[in-house]
Amino acid sequence: MRRRVSVAWLNLMHERTRLLVAIAGVAFAVLLIFMNLGFLGALTTTTINFYEQFNADIFLSSPETLEVSTTTVFPRERLYQAEGITGVRRAMPLYSGYVLWRNPEPPNESKAMFAWAYNLDDPVFLMPELQGPEAKQALQQPNVVFFDRLSRPEYGPSDIGTVTEADRRQVTIGGNYSLGGGFAADGTIIMSDQNFARYLSPRPLSTVDTGLIQLESGANPERVKRALEAALPADVEVFTKAGIMRRDQTFWISSTSIGFIFGLGVLVSFVVGIVIVYQILYTDIRDHLPEYATMKAMGYRNRYLFQIVLKEALLLAAMGYVPGFIISLGLYELTLNATAGGLPVAMNFRRMVFVLLLTIGMCSVSGLISVRKALSTDPAEVF
Amino acid sequence: MAFFSFKRVPLAWLNLTHDRKKFATSLGGVAFAVLLMFVFTGFMNALYDSQVQVLNRLNGEVIVINRLKNNMFVPRSFARRRLYQVRAFDGVADAYPLYISDGNWKNPETKKSFAVRTLAFNLGDPVLDMPEVNEQISALQLPNTALIDTRARAEIGPTDAGIVSELAERELKIVGTFELGTDFAAGNGNLIMSDINFLRYFANRGPEEVNRSFATADVGVVKLTADASPEKVVTALQQALPNDVLVLTKEGPNGFVNRERTYWQENTSIGFVFTLLTTMSFFVGIILVYQILYTDVADHWAEYATLKAMGYSNLYLLGVVLQESIFLSVLGFIPGCIISYLLYTGAANATGLFFQMTSERVVNLFLATFVMCLVSGAIAVRKVQATDPAEVFGG
Repeated sequence: MRRRVSVAWLNLMHERTRLLVAIAGVAFAVLLIFMNLGFLGALTTTTINFYEQFNADIFLSSPETLEVSTTTVFPRERLYQAEGITGVRRAMPLYSGYVLWRNPEPPNESKAMFAWAYNLDDPVFLMPELQGPEAKQALQQPNVVFFDRLSRPEYGPSDIGTVTEADRRQVTIGGNYSLGGGFAADGTIIMSDQNFARYLSPRPLSTVDTGLIQLESGANPERVKRALEAALPADVEVFTKAGIMRRDQTFWISSTSIGFIFGLGVLVSFVVGIVIVYQILYTDIRDHLPEYATMKAMGYRNRYLFQIVLKEALLLAAMGYVPGFIISLGLYELTLNATAGGLPVAMNFRRMVFVLLLTIGMCSVSGLISVRKALSTDPAEVF
Repeated sequence: MAFFSFKRVPLAWLNLTHDRKKFATSLGGVAFAVLLMFVFTGFMNALYDSQVQVLNRLNGEVIVINRLKNNMFVPRSFARRRLYQVRAFDGVADAYPLYISDGNWKNPETKKSFAVRTLAFNLGDPVLDMPEVNEQISALQLPNTALIDTRARAEIGPTDAGIVSELAERELKIVGTFELGTDFAAGNGNLIMSDINFLRYFANRGPEEVNRSFATADVGVVKLTADASPEKVVTALQQALPNDVLVLTKEGPNGFVNRERTYWQENTSIGFVFTLLTTMSFFVGIILVYQILYTDVADHWAEYATLKAMGYSNLYLLGVVLQESIFLSVLGFIPGCIISYLLYTGAANATGLFFQMTSERVVNLFLATFVMCLVSGAIAVRKVQATDPAEVFGG
């Protein structure tokens, strides 16, 4: 006879209210885990998403540099040396540093602004506003910079033509772009290397913060990276784009402890999920102990009862995951609006799968713990 | 009709404790919800508390800083001669300069360098209210010596007295330790040294760095006489001194410490993130407790229906369920609090952040737990109130 009774499903469905509470519990645990991972993901993304706008495949940086905003400089000669390696089309210097930007609107607060600077003949950045001869002409003027629209509002207006002071020197905004400053900078500006020498004097242009290397078409980045490492001395380190992004990300995650913080948050939510599901299953088993005992007396083996409980656990996992996932999408939206894009929380497929696996794991563990009671039941004891 | 009469059968208590195992599971559930809330508020507060650790330890009632120094992250100093001007005022006992700079400390084991913050002052000035530092002052008189913060991040390597390594590419010998902790502006750790040594490390750093001298100080710590009022002195000083400096009280709602704290609260998403997570934990807690109470109500439906048939009012049953939820909140809070305390200690060791379980925070979270359980109880009890005795025993 093929038509079995789906005990697991019927057990769960029989008590509607209890089922709803159970689903809510699992959903909230799933939601907590999604939020923790979402925040962690958003913070990690903000640390490095500006790298996408750099027009280079390989990066040079001092080995003492921990991440891009607190660079130790290296000699510009390294870039000339790099250009001699086969596969390298062009090596471009990138300068960076902080200037104190004065908000032209009262109360005229000053805030540290992160400045990028480059030789205007080099195609360093990919932002559309920086391409073309008009942009180059604007940036060539003394004391003119381009202002990042994504800078925090405390820096004041971003409109072209705004005149204010940077490091006690007059500055005019000549254009805008969108980049973002990551963890270390609440705002950024871009200027020519000549202006950089003015604002950050006495810093010489012969020392460079980051080197950007463009490869010939068809060149293999890994091979060129190895060639560069062999040719250049130990005062520069060679990174692929992915490699340097990883370096910065790892630094921020560990030095601000946010990796630990949100990892702990996920762990605690996971345990709470186990507790919630355990309570449900435990209550269910306890209520149906006479029935389970009867089935054991009838000849059903432990494995059958085990399967019922595990199936219930998996059903709960599936039924709780879906609302948890949907609500977290809503909360992600809320976060984006509340932080005005400051926290770019976004759902991705890997996370969905990871949390689904965690949910299944969470419910299975509860199932396993709660089922031990059922397995150890001696039918005779119950009655 | 007595509501919480103790001469009667303590039904709520007996209901809860009747099944030992279930009671334990229920307490565990509440404890976990409490733990969740403690974890998220703990991290939020740790991130804020850690920023003001140094500031709290400044030995003065009034602080002088460069007006552009919005927070400790901004490396702006002011002319030290302002402190000589400050000393001339009524109510001022003394004014001490504190010098601060960042430099790279080389981990003696891995040889990798990490940014650390150096605090320096004249050894004759009691700038820091830290007995352990004041005991070791004489050791700092030697050239190229410093004290190291044992609560620095693990990356910078061992933090014991006797270590010799490099700071800002110059040899440095550690002659003692103190306990402070990291914050966003301190980088990976803190060092304390004399002002003379400070010049040795930070006066000649080449064109890319700021070269320090005794002409500028980073924080002015002003000690007042016993009868002086900090607010009055601040007003007098701010009026007399030019606008390049900002004068504040150290404590108080507009004080230096609070200003730093508020900066981090308002300019980062920390508050939003952790408040959201704590609120969600609160709801998880409501669900957990509701589960427990609902199960109890469902199990004893027949008994409750009988009681109603006997004449007990809905109010009595409401009282029973609410009593149960109060017991759960109190008894579940205690283990939750204890486990959280252990977790705080572990997290503090791992992150170098400052986890503090103040009585104010404990009370706040207990109130949240209490409300959480009451809300669950109220929801659970609606079911009981809707019960028609006849239905339960229906034929």
